[in-house]
Amino acid sequence: METFDVAIVGGGSTGLAALKHLSDLGKQAVLIEAGPQVGTKNVSGGILYSKRPRNGKVHNVEDVYGSDFEASAPLERHISKYILHATSGNKIFTLDLTPAHEYQTNFGYSVLLNKLNSWFASVASESAEKQGGGIVTGVHVRDIQWSNENKTLIHTDELEEFQVKAIIAADGVNSEIAYLTGARQKFSPNEVYQGVKVVIRLPEETIEERFEIDTSEGAAHLFAGDVTLNHIGGGFIYTNRDTLSLGAVYHYESLFSKPTEPSTLVNALIQNPFVSELIKDEVITIDIDRELSKEEQLRKRFALTKLVKTFEELRYSCYSSSGRTRLIDSGKFKNFEEMKAKLDSIRQELIEKYNTKFVTNYVELEYSAKLVPDGKRCRMKKPYHRNILFVGDAAGRGIFIGPRIEGLNVGIDDAVRASLAISRSIDKNNFAEDYMGQYYTSLVEQSPYTRDMKEIDKEYLKIFLESTKSIPKEIVGSRYGFIFKIMSSGKLRGLAVGIANLLGYEKILPLVESEETYVQVPIEVALKLGKKIDPSYTPVPPSIEERVARLRYNDDPISHIIVREPESEFLRKLVVLCPTRCYYHEDNKVMLQHEGCIECGSCAKGTEWRHPRGEKGVIFNYG
Amino acid sequence: MVNVAVIVKLEPDFSEGNVSYNPDGTLNRAETKSILGPHSAIACNAAFYTKITYGSRISIGTMGPPIADSALKQAQELTDADEMNLYSDRIFAGADTLATAEVLRSGIVKMLDGNKIDIVFSGHRASDGETGQTGPQTAWKLGYTFLGNVIEVNIDLERNYVIVKRLVMLQGFDGIVEEVEAPLPVFITVDPSYSPNYRTIYQRLAFAKYRKEAIARANNYKQFLKIYDSKSLGVDPKFVGLPGSPTIVYRVEKIPKAKASRKAQLIEGQDIDAIKSIVPKLRPIVS
Amino acid sequence: MVTESFSNNSGGKYRNLYVVIEHIEGKLVPVSLEMLGEARRLMDDFNQRYQESERVVAVVLGYKVQDLCQQLISYGADVVVYAENKELEYSRNTIDTKVIAQISRDAGLAKQISPEYIPPYIKPRYMFFAADSIGRHLSSTVLAELESGLASDINKLVISDIDFRHEHKTKGQTIRYERTLEMYRPDFSGFLWTTILCLDNKNPEIMRDYHPQGCSIIPGVFNAIEPDIAREGLILQYKPTIDPEDLKVKVLNKQMLKKKIDFDGHRIIVSMGRGIKDDPEQNVKLIEQFARLLDAEIGISLPLSKRLYQLSDSINSKYMIPERVIGTSGSKVAPSFYIATGIHGAVQHIAGMKESEFVVAINPDENAPIKDESDLFINGRMEDVLPIIIEELQKLTPIVSSHME
Repeated sequence: METFDVAIVGGGSTGLAALKHLSDLGKQAVLIEAGPQVGTKNVSGGILYSKRPRNGKVHNVEDVYGSDFEASAPLERHISKYILHATSGNKIFTLDLTPAHEYQTNFGYSVLLNKLNSWFASVASESAEKQGGGIVTGVHVRDIQWSNENKTLIHTDELEEFQVKAIIAADGVNSEIAYLTGARQKFSPNEVYQGVKVVIRLPEETIEERFEIDTSEGAAHLFAGDVTLNHIGGGFIYTNRDTLSLGAVYHYESLFSKPTEPSTLVNALIQNPFVSELIKDEVITIDIDRELSKEEQLRKRFALTKLVKTFEELRYSCYSSSGRTRLIDSGKFKNFEEMKAKLDSIRQELIEKYNTKFVTNYVELEYSAKLVPDGKRCRMKKPYHRNILFVGDAAGRGIFIGPRIEGLNVGIDDAVRASLAISRSIDKNNFAEDYMGQYYTSLVEQSPYTRDMKEIDKEYLKIFLESTKSIPKEIVGSRYGFIFKIMSSGKLRGLAVGIANLLGYEKILPLVESEETYVQVPIEVALKLGKKIDPSYTPVPPSIEERVARLRYNDDPISHIIVREPESEFLRKLVVLCPTRCYYHEDNKVMLQHEGCIECGSCAKGTEWRHPRGEKGVIFNYG
Repeated sequence: MVNVAVIVKLEPDFSEGNVSYNPDGTLNRAETKSILGPHSAIACNAAFYTKITYGSRISIGTMGPPIADSALKQAQELTDADEMNLYSDRIFAGADTLATAEVLRSGIVKMLDGNKIDIVFSGHRASDGETGQTGPQTAWKLGYTFLGNVIEVNIDLERNYVIVKRLVMLQGFDGIVEEVEAPLPVFITVDPSYSPNYRTIYQRLAFAKYRKEAIARANNYKQFLKIYDSKSLGVDPKFVGLPGSPTIVYRVEKIPKAKASRKAQLIEGQDIDAIKSIVPKLRPIVS
Repeated sequence: MVTESFSNNSGGKYRNLYVVIEHIEGKLVPVSLEMLGEARRLMDDFNQRYQESERVVAVVLGYKVQDLCQQLISYGADVVVYAENKELEYSRNTIDTKVIAQISRDAGLAKQISPEYIPPYIKPRYMFFAADSIGRHLSSTVLAELESGLASDINKLVISDIDFRHEHKTKGQTIRYERTLEMYRPDFSGFLWTTILCLDNKNPEIMRDYHPQGCSIIPGVFNAIEPDIAREGLILQYKPTIDPEDLKVKVLNKQMLKKKIDFDGHRIIVSMGRGIKDDPEQNVKLIEQFARLLDAEIGISLPLSKRLYQLSDSINSKYMIPERVIGTSGSKVAPSFYIATGIHGAVQHIAGMKESEFVVAINPDENAPIKDESDLFINGRMEDVLPIIIEELQKLTPIVSSHME
């Protein structure tokens, strides 16, 4: 039987960091990823941070991948502006939270995980190969067993079984390893947020113009108020190089109490007048005469698709400085004017010859969803089981503090700590829970991120409140005005935070994370102080069916989800809460159609939920 | 170590956004980019499998115009080939399958410095017309045992045999999987349903390693490329190209049955006579 | 202007149409009979037109195949040549190719086939194979061995005298090629038809004669003739020479795959969807009856495979199974007639049936997307519409039992 030192299950940024770090420590590790390639199953909001806490040390991405990380990794934009908007109807009130974003931060980059994780994978696998390890894709871990001789055997759907000394479970928020070993319960709606995201395309320089940034900068915008449709959470837009990540993240329990379709929540943000101006684009609509013969239609369609492709490629290069340089260097064009002229002539051809129309709308590339663990509520207190260590989302470790949402950096920090614990165990050939598991727990407990999941950081709070100074306290009605007042005074704040931390997060969360904070207060602020926006159009988001149709799938005829209780209350809610409408009512039962599933796990708590077999299921191009 | 050849074909990229048709419905070859044919890619996967599982030297061959080298680059990415051969000559133009087979036969015997090729892989068919005859005809000219529709390849290195599984589809049958053994050398056309089955971590890791090497090699693919014309190949001009082709395309026309796109004729559920009218439509098929 | 005539009938050197028969498990593969039917029609016409008596020769290789020979005669063969040998039990390309080449070239055999023709005999005039997993490759190697031309995937055949001019082939002159087989094949796009000719060689430098004119024929396009058990014909056994070296290729085992559902073997497919819901059991039975009358296969939409309805076990296990699903996660079908009953027409389903030639949809919802993929849309519930069609269909079926009292 094949034998390896360490198996890492899951090739997200956490698993990959573990592979890289373990290999650098000279240990043999094999990473098992179910997707056809690394990065095809990963979704993130996505900002990747590097932090420098005043107390304690975190392991940052550049510590794992080297100091030239920023120069060589496929990062989208360096986030230099961090903005919070309160919305109400066509009014918007804007707060600059950049100081809060910069608090203890080395850098924050917007990222698209398909690209970034592929890069991590290529670097990590190079290190791993030197130790006889590497990355294996398209393989789904089905079971882990311990033989009588205490050998650890990994069973997969695709390979012959193999043996390992230790396992890192980096299989995400819906960790199958956690479920099948019983290491933790499935997360309940109270413990997670549901995030839904769309990737929107825009020319590079249009992004820079609208977000008022230059080519070396990026912006993050957060939204609260009426765009939440009365749920706890909010919306976001992050600028990428020539795309935007736009999404909605809501406390899953809040969604459960008033079920609203996830796509409706994203659409509410898209249709906000301020947002719709940010994403506005010119969209080509193709209309082929159905009266023509079939082959004539086909010919037209092929010709048109080709022309449109040329047009779009040219347009995107034309409105990007690097794109223009590329085109000029290749000798295809002399200058911008020539490109512009060519664009105009294709445009003319499209309109005149093919009856193509240019309409004002926006272009959506990819729809995705994921559950985000709220570490305050759900981090594993004992992130191990026998010789398995749980890291990142799989261990329920994510930071959710008001506008501060972090996961990628937490996972990377965990990965390094797990690697250190395993490395020590390999050297001493001791993988017992009380040696490896407990040591890993102590390392994790020392992490400043863990502290952030446990208590309020009054420095952060102070900076946050500084940013809100422009809001007259009297507008903020009810109990919040009072809290604001207390918090604004340094002395009282210290006292209040002290008491809050004494009470513990569990006690104060319902107070802080409430509809009032996320919905009512922002609406009030926007109404009273907001700027009025006159929208120039109303964007038309694609239907769920269109969104699903644009995604890539490798359909598995065998469903990875099994419904055992088709009449449960939980599943009834999923008819609304499944982001791709995989559930429907039929004769008082809830039925599942797994085709179209994007594997977010929103239904996991109420079903028998597994990841699809290797290479099967959804394939994200952006993530 | 097994010597393996892969015969590939450069084909038009039929995917939407890349393909272009003339107004008369024929393919506009000038406007359509060429890529490695999908069936050729499958043959490459089978060759790569032999490299990972048994260790093999791989040589790729294709007949086509000089621009066919982009397909060779793609083929090298898939196989980590040690050598690539382009058989390109004006006089090869107009060749049917028999004349093409003549060129390929002459090419295969020259591969890997004239070392005998143990297994030749080729695709099941090309997507732009040629229909699965070139492989078996080349095999015949080489005097190699031909094995078609292969879905699994195993090599018995001690006996110098292959043991393959073939998927035989016959009218009225749901498919027959046939296990066949044959002494090397053999010529294999790979079934479209073939997919290599790597069942161990080591195979998967080797796959990743060689694939990486392959991509690096393919970036300098010209270094591995040999170009042959009819002279350097040593073929008799009478047996290649148009003169060597018994068949010729006489005529191309539109298939008359093509009809306009569907536009449903609507019959109301209460209109019993109209509903009955569909029966005569069914009748010629039923009887 | 015809400047030179090139006769393909040079003293009977090339004669007869050889049809390579395929059989398995003691039964003929249908395409064999289809090829014979087309061969019969072509050669009847040929013999009349050219005042000849050339034969349709069926070639059978195998073990214990005598029983098939008479059947081949009744389906239109004039002569059956069978090579009977234990080693020919399973088709093996090399051995089969050599045996067929031996049969094709055997002058003695040719004399037995048509004694009235004077020697020399060189090779067959025409040759048919099936365009399937056996014939596609066998035709290639046989024609490579016989050094002649081959066209594949043919769906129309015509024999005619062709005046042909080609800059290179005929050096710019128009030449009449007599008795040429025009072989039509649909091209890859499915929109175009290409006619392939295998023209006789007239370049004296090339010692090839380009006979037989060979082709492989798409199964299911030609019709077999009505079998006539009274038809007479010549059955000849052929004793092939087999090279022991070729026996090293061995068929180790054969495994027949069994799909329960045969969408390809039926010209009509009736499919059902959630529209059965009002009375599932009765509606499925109605569809069963309807399909039986049409000799149709039954398909379902994806949701039905999840067993949505209270149905008897027999119906559930027979119909509500993934193997019957038509669509992206099931089968893709292209029958002559597709009848969608109670199917809404989700994108996944449409992808599986849109290549059908004629589509009828029965659905009470006029806005159902299936309408856009239909040629005929009957706006009604299946339980109302189907009985009307069934009744009408029953009128068509001949009433045999009326005299039986």
